[in-house]
Amino acid sequence: MAKAFKYGLKGITGYLEPAERELLRSLIDDVISMLQPAESASEDPLTALIGLDMNVQEPSDRALRRLLPNVMKNDDAASLEFRQLTERSLRENKIGALRAAALSLDTNDVVLSPADARHWSQALNDVRLVLAERLDIRDDADAEHVHTMQDWSQAEDVESYLALVYNFTTWLQESLVQAMLQSMESRG
Amino acid sequence: MTLSVALGPDTQESTQTGTVTSTDALTAPDIPWNLVIWNDPVNLMSYVSYVFQSYFGYSEPKANKLMMEVHKKGRSIVAHGSKEQVEQHAVAMHGFGLWATVEKATGGGKEGGTGKGKGKRG
Repeated sequence: MAKAFKYGLKGITGYLEPAERELLRSLIDDVISMLQPAESASEDPLTALIGLDMNVQEPSDRALRRLLPNVMKNDDAASLEFRQLTERSLRENKIGALRAAALSLDTNDVVLSPADARHWSQALNDVRLVLAERLDIRDDADAEHVHTMQDWSQAEDVESYLALVYNFTTWLQESLVQAMLQSMESRG
Repeated sequence: MTLSVALGPDTQESTQTGTVTSTDALTAPDIPWNLVIWNDPVNLMSYVSYVFQSYFGYSEPKANKLMMEVHKKGRSIVAHGSKEQVEQHAVAMHGFGLWATVEKATGGGKEGGTGKGKGKRG
């Protein structure tokens, strides 16, 4: 079983079993592949250089829309214009954090620098946002319902398995954030 | 937001120490836009508070107060600034996975009596 992250002399440390690391790695890979822009090989070099992408549209996938939300609530045109300017670099930033998190999954003992910890918390959060969309978590009642699934013997179908995975990542992120808050406090 | 395991009492609603800023004295170009954070059932309360503390440099009580406002009221204005400033904040919030939007300030943006979203406090 994984051990909760904690803050101590060595910084933020945690412990994960090989199967748990494998699970996290595959979750991270899934989110990376969702975030990778569709056409990157045959694109306009200027697009790649300045990050401006006029072909960008609001994502049709709910989970992707949650990762890359509109910047204005009631102005789709302005949101799209902003998306064309910023979405590419936001995707790259997220992919960067996810890749950095995956890199520290090589050993059972996980030791995180402050920058690693930030990448991990961002990566776990994005993984959870995607899982939550797949689980149809729309409000606090849905979240509580999913939260009742705590025992791996309850994993009977895809949905219950996803719920257990979601709860595992929630627990892991909570312990990580508590350790990060402690570390911020002690650094002043 | 979701309240998970291992949350201490310090995440309860903090004391109402928010100062009422006199926005009347500020001219329109100074604070015409708000950064709004919306509630969702996924983001951890501790994580939202951590983001407010680490990104905006808000004190823990202030970050927790804003976080609780998001949680209870469904949204909170967490920073003000020029359109460009709040857009930059919004992209940063999206990077952290928070659901953020920008909107033109109406009535001086007194909601929550929050800070200006820049500089360290406390």
